[in-house]
Order: sequence, then C-alpha cells, then structure tokens
Amino acid sequence: MASGPMSVDSSALDPPALPETADGPKHGGFSRFELELELVQSLANPQYLNYLASRKFLTNPAFVAYLDYLQYWTRPPYLKFITYPAATIKILELLQEEKFREEIISPDLAQGLMVEGMKDAVEWHREG
Amino acid sequence: MDKDLDGRFERVERALERMVESLAKNHPSEKLAEELVAADTALTEGLKLLERHQNNYARIQALRQETAQLDTQLKDLISSAYNMRKELKAVPVTAIPPNSKYDFTTAQLLDYARRISRNTLPPPGVTNGVDLAPTPAATQPEPDDAFPVQSQSQSQSQSQTQTQTPTTSFNLSSNGAGTPQQPPTSQTTTTTTTTATALPPHLKTTLNPLHNAAFYPWPTESQIRSGALAAVQRLAERGIDPQGYDPEAEAARRRAEEAALKEAEERARAEREAAERRMREERERMARERARARQAEAQAGGGGVAARRAPKQFTFLGGDDDDEEEDED
Repeated sequence: MASGPMSVDSSALDPPALPETADGPKHGGFSRFELELELVQSLANPQYLNYLASRKFLTNPAFVAYLDYLQYWTRPPYLKFITYPAATIKILELLQEEKFREEIISPDLAQGLMVEGMKDAVEWHREG
Repeated sequence: MDKDLDGRFERVERALERMVESLAKNHPSEKLAEELVAADTALTEGLKLLERHQNNYARIQALRQETAQLDTQLKDLISSAYNMRKELKAVPVTAIPPNSKYDFTTAQLLDYARRISRNTLPPPGVTNGVDLAPTPAATQPEPDDAFPVQSQSQSQSQSQTQTQTPTTSFNLSSNGAGTPQQPPTSQTTTTTTTTATALPPHLKTTLNPLHNAAFYPWPTESQIRSGALAAVQRLAERGIDPQGYDPEAEAARRRAEEAALKEAEERARAEREAAERRMREERERMARERARARQAEAQAGGGGVAARRAPKQFTFLGGDDDDEEEDED
C-alpha cells in the first residue's frame, strides 16, 4: 500500500464508485477504484505476496482489515472488472486465512503456488 | 485330549503287559493278541486325532493372529480416516453466500469472456513446461467429441480414417481463433513429419516466437512495476503527497502557465509594434505638414508650377520624403 500511513480506519471505507460515475479525489492521477483494482489483482502474483509478507504487511492488523475490505471485488458490480479471475479470487480468499498469511513468507510456498498456478493455467482447458 | 490319549496308551500298555505275561507263562492267548491289536489301532487313531487337533490349534492361532492384524489395520484405517476428516475440515472452503445468484445477460458474459481470455488461456503452443502430448487413452475419444454421431454410428476403424482430417482441421481453425489445442496440432505434425514440407525440429523451435514462452495467470512483476501503484509509490518517493495530486492536471496547469507567459510576451510585442507604428505615422504626418507649409511657401512665390502639381500630391509627397531625409541628414 502506497497511500499514506496505514490505520485500521481503512476497513470502514465503502467500496469506491464505479468508473462510469467516478469523479472523486485522485491519488497521483488515479482513482481509488483503479488503484484497488490493480492491487487486488497484483495480489494474485505469489512473488508479490511473498514480497508483501517479507515486508511484514500481511501481519499488520490494518492491512489484514484492508484485505477483508477488499473482498468487495468478489461481488458484483465489481467482479466483472477482474481480468485475472481465478487466481485473484482464490488468493483473496486464502488471504483471509491467518495460516496462509503467515506461511506465504516461505519462498518455497510462493514457488509452489507459481508452479501449480502455471500448470493449472495450461491444464484446466485440456479435457474440456 | 491328553486324557483320552493317556487312556489309549494305558490300554496298549496293559494289553502288551498281559501279552508279555501270557507269553512268559508260555500260554499265548489269541484273545489277548486281538486286544493288543485293537489297542494299537485305537492309539494310532488317537495319534491321528492329536495331529488333527494340533493342526486345528495351529490354524486357530494363525486365524487369531490374522484377526489381530486386521483389527490393527482397521484401527489404522479409522484413525487415518479421522485424521483425514480433521484435515478436510481445516481446509478453508469457499463460502458461498445463500443468495449468490446475480443476473447477467449473454452479451455481458461473452464480453467478459472475451476480456479475460487473454489472461486465462495461454497462447497456442505455450505449455509452461507441462507435457501436453496426448496419451493414447486420451486421444481415442477425441473423434467422438468432435463428431459424436458419425463415430458412434460407424465402425471404429472407419471413423478413425474418415474423421482424422476433419478433426485436425477443426482444431487448427480453433487454433487460429486463439484457443491453443496443442495436443492435436503436435499429433498432426508427428504424423506428417515423413513428408518433405515438415521443418526440422531445431528450426521449428527457432521460428516459433512463443518457444519457451511462459504463461502467467496473474499480473507479472513488470506489469506491477509499471502500474498505477508503482506510479503512486514514485510520487511518494519524490516527496509528493499523492492525495489529490494529479500529474495530468499538474501538467495541464504548467501548460496553461506557459501559455499565459507566451501570451503576455505576445501582447508586449504587439504594444511595442503599435507604438512604433504610431511614431512612424506621427513622423509622416509631420512631414506632410512641413511639405504643405513648403508648398504654401512655393505658391506664394511662383504659383504656376505649384498649381499644376497640386493634384499629384502623392508623387509630390514622395519627392518630398527625399527632401525630408535630406533635411534630417
């Protein structure tokens, strides 16, 4: 999270307005919608998660509350903006688990997630 | 069992004793001999019985061991099932909210599918190192999938030869549409390697731009590094509070400032030019006045020439300009 010092208040926020109606304050030229959409999809990258874990973000209560807040992406009307659906939704779900947040600091787990994810990306459409 | 056997032994012994006794008394008796034979037969039977008894006992022991073993096996199974269940319960499951049905139209669905296909389906030929070569079992039902009616109604060998070409062309066309069906493609290439048009394998890998390319079902590190969050991070590193700061608006403001500056310069230049023009006009006016004065003077002297030249004031003026310059000089 790049925006300012973190506080637990972030969990009290409502989801941002949709881009069609977005006219709110900008952060460095980007709306909150854009930034949060990018973040939630970046979380699908195991390496990025591992990086966040190594920077102790995933054990920060404020960030955990933020992760909980980010779950609005799993519901319409926000869901349709996710362009990496499988990994994003699954990781967001896993990130709600304390065990996963603690264990993703292991490079082996991150590597394993990458290998599995890349394998699945090729294999999921194999039979169908 | 032991008692029974002991009795039989005793009987044999007694019969033998009596037999020996009678023999010693030199008075053998047929009855005694028969008794001895009977006792001996009984003993043999008893021994056979003992043997069976021992066998049965061994069997019982073996069975007991087996049941014990099976019991432990069962216990193991149950405990592992219990552990498995515990593990299963510990696995986080996707919580589906009760009213999780959302309305959408087919157009929306297709639109979404089109948008995500770039990130959910690897480009043709990209396998991420997974061996997608079809196993014989997997290739067999392929014609069935493509042409269910045909292959089911016809014999296997017939459908094999007849559907071979349509199946591959079907898959190739879908390849062109962006769906990588690597297994069938590789299958066709292996079958056609005998023809002269096939490329040697080392050239094939060189010519394929996607050779060894990897497909990631998530944003890559470079994408994250060139994204909005990274831009915000860079702003923060430059000491700018990203809150409410818009680089584009900033740039527009700078442009507007520059434009204003330019305009001011332009205006100053225009004013300068206007002043110069005014001065020039003033000078011309003064020159004209002087010329007129001179003309009046000339009229006062020799009026004939001046009266003739009077209508041609411009030529006169031009001539006068020279005079003026001369005057100024």
